[in-house]
Amino acid sequence: MSYFFQLVASGIVVGSIYALAGLGFVLIYKSSKVLNIAHGQIIAAGAFITYALTGWVGIPIYLSFFLGLAITFFLAMSVERIFLRRLIGEPIISVIMVTIGLMSILDGLIFLTPFGSVNFSFPKFLPTTLIAFGGVSISWTQLVGVLVTAIMITGFSLFFKKSTVGISMRAVSDDQMASMSIGISVPRVFGLAWATAGLSAAAAGCIIGNITGLNFETLQAFGITVFPVVILGGLDSILGAVAAGIIMGLIQQFASGYLDGNFGLSGTAEVLPYIILLIILLFKPHGLFGIHEIERV
Amino acid sequence: MATNRWLATGNYFTSYKDEQRIYFTHLDRTIFSAFLTLLFVWPFFFSLSNKYMLVIDNILIAMVAVIGLNIVTGFAGLISIGHAAFVGIGAYTIASFCRVIGDSHVIVTHVWPLLILVAGFVGAIFGAIVGLPAMRLKHLYLAIATLSFQMIFTWTINFMNFFDQGQTISVGRVFWFSGKVGRKEHYLFWYYVILVVIVLCGFMVRNLLRTRYGRCLSAVRDNDRAADAMGIHPGLTKVYAFALAGFFAGVAGALHAYLYRGVGIESFSLHESIAYLAMAIVGGLGTLNGSFWGPAAIMTLDLQVETLAEKAGHLLSSNMNLATALKPFSFGLVIVLFLMFEPRGIANWWRIVRSYTKLWPFRY
Repeated sequence: MSYFFQLVASGIVVGSIYALAGLGFVLIYKSSKVLNIAHGQIIAAGAFITYALTGWVGIPIYLSFFLGLAITFFLAMSVERIFLRRLIGEPIISVIMVTIGLMSILDGLIFLTPFGSVNFSFPKFLPTTLIAFGGVSISWTQLVGVLVTAIMITGFSLFFKKSTVGISMRAVSDDQMASMSIGISVPRVFGLAWATAGLSAAAAGCIIGNITGLNFETLQAFGITVFPVVILGGLDSILGAVAAGIIMGLIQQFASGYLDGNFGLSGTAEVLPYIILLIILLFKPHGLFGIHEIERV
Repeated sequence: MATNRWLATGNYFTSYKDEQRIYFTHLDRTIFSAFLTLLFVWPFFFSLSNKYMLVIDNILIAMVAVIGLNIVTGFAGLISIGHAAFVGIGAYTIASFCRVIGDSHVIVTHVWPLLILVAGFVGAIFGAIVGLPAMRLKHLYLAIATLSFQMIFTWTINFMNFFDQGQTISVGRVFWFSGKVGRKEHYLFWYYVILVVIVLCGFMVRNLLRTRYGRCLSAVRDNDRAADAMGIHPGLTKVYAFALAGFFAGVAGALHAYLYRGVGIESFSLHESIAYLAMAIVGGLGTLNGSFWGPAAIMTLDLQVETLAEKAGHLLSSNMNLATALKPFSFGLVIVLFLMFEPRGIANWWRIVRSYTKLWPFRY
């Protein structure tokens, strides 16, 4: 039984990071209806920038965490400004293909740096002892990761509920024409959506980097797993992204805990999300919390 | 494709049949057949080294695959980020024959044209399965469905012992009427085979586009509700587009397996899928001759990048592989630049050049 609870604990840890990463994805989709295929690369870039600041420049890790988030914030904003601003009004299919191109460009840029081939790990700044809690033990890094995720998601929800900018972003996602007519700058909101997505992606990247080490393959795979998460949650629902993130984390942990090695299977955690994704697309395409506005064709 | 000279100053067709012709004048037909003859004859006068022959064969195989991708992305307007997986399905169909009956069994070495066709049909079946969500969904979701198919495909091959966990599975040398195709003439032999396949595929697609089934595709792409009102089932049309794309991809995969005399998972990764997409975009989505320009352009770029990386690698003298960095970078840059500045691709340049030369020295 304690094995079960151990799996639940680590599932929640992984799942909350999925939730954070999925949040950024949903933000971009909600505001501009663009699927950002390059999300995994932004996650990786955020983690690598943070590491470069602390490991190579020598800035203390707490400070570099914030600096890394800020840099990724502006990086994502400039990506929107340079590449996507020109394509407003073009068919959505070509915008999505531009993000595929972006994914390839960022891949290439990351391979140019040592991060593409060498694995790094963040300096240890938390106690390395395990916290045992009724037979379940998790590390300090995981605990802090979950806490940071929870704080950030709460912060984002408050931001969208209370602040003027947040409310204008919600307005744009609801009706672009109407929000333009009451004086909201729609392109600026798109830029902000990308920037906040970059922020949450970088945070997710840093947390994974702290837990598993900085491996480009892992971070990239993590970024692609965000797709099943957001589809499960419904592409345009933040609550859905959080719930589906945790569900997906649990499914992955149970898969690797119970399926692997039992029926001659291995690595099921990598493939199960995609199988679930295909099944959801066939039977419940708007996900758990998505708006039912998807038209049947 | 033939230039439509009649349309230069207005439309002079008197029947729909006239308008649907492939060749509009005898000159068009002559030029086209001369060009084809040239493609078949040049190896008798020049002999290229195996290295360059391999490059040309690769370009031709990519053309077959991109014709398929162009059907699904260009004509039907559905993004496919898993095209390399469909190519892989074709290649692994050949590989499973080799695993079951041995890589130099008579079926693999003598009846290979049939096997290539079988691989195409297996690809079509998988294409239809992946396209099934299209019955309910629009293109955004389909892009993710194809991406997940790519991931599932890679995982399955890496997992299964039957496929040697993605290690190279060897495929035997084939026989022709003149006997076994040896190492010397291997690439030349496959050049001819692939060329024939491309000519067949080209005519297939060209003819498809003037039938009801081909025009269905662009009707659904342009406005699926209007298409629905006209009695076309949009969902089934999309499934059928995926099946067609799967067929061409499967044929390309089988040719790849025979050309390399082996099948390994690294040729069918997500990066390859993006490379195919880049070829389709650069060539020009929704045009048939774009499917020929795109692979040629991207493969040449690929080759140049590789040489550049080799040269720069000596200068930098670092241990990292510069080519792995520069290749995705250049592909991505090409995709983005073309989509931003020339969304109609090289096919559009070709159109401009052609209309310019046709009217020269007059402006219009």
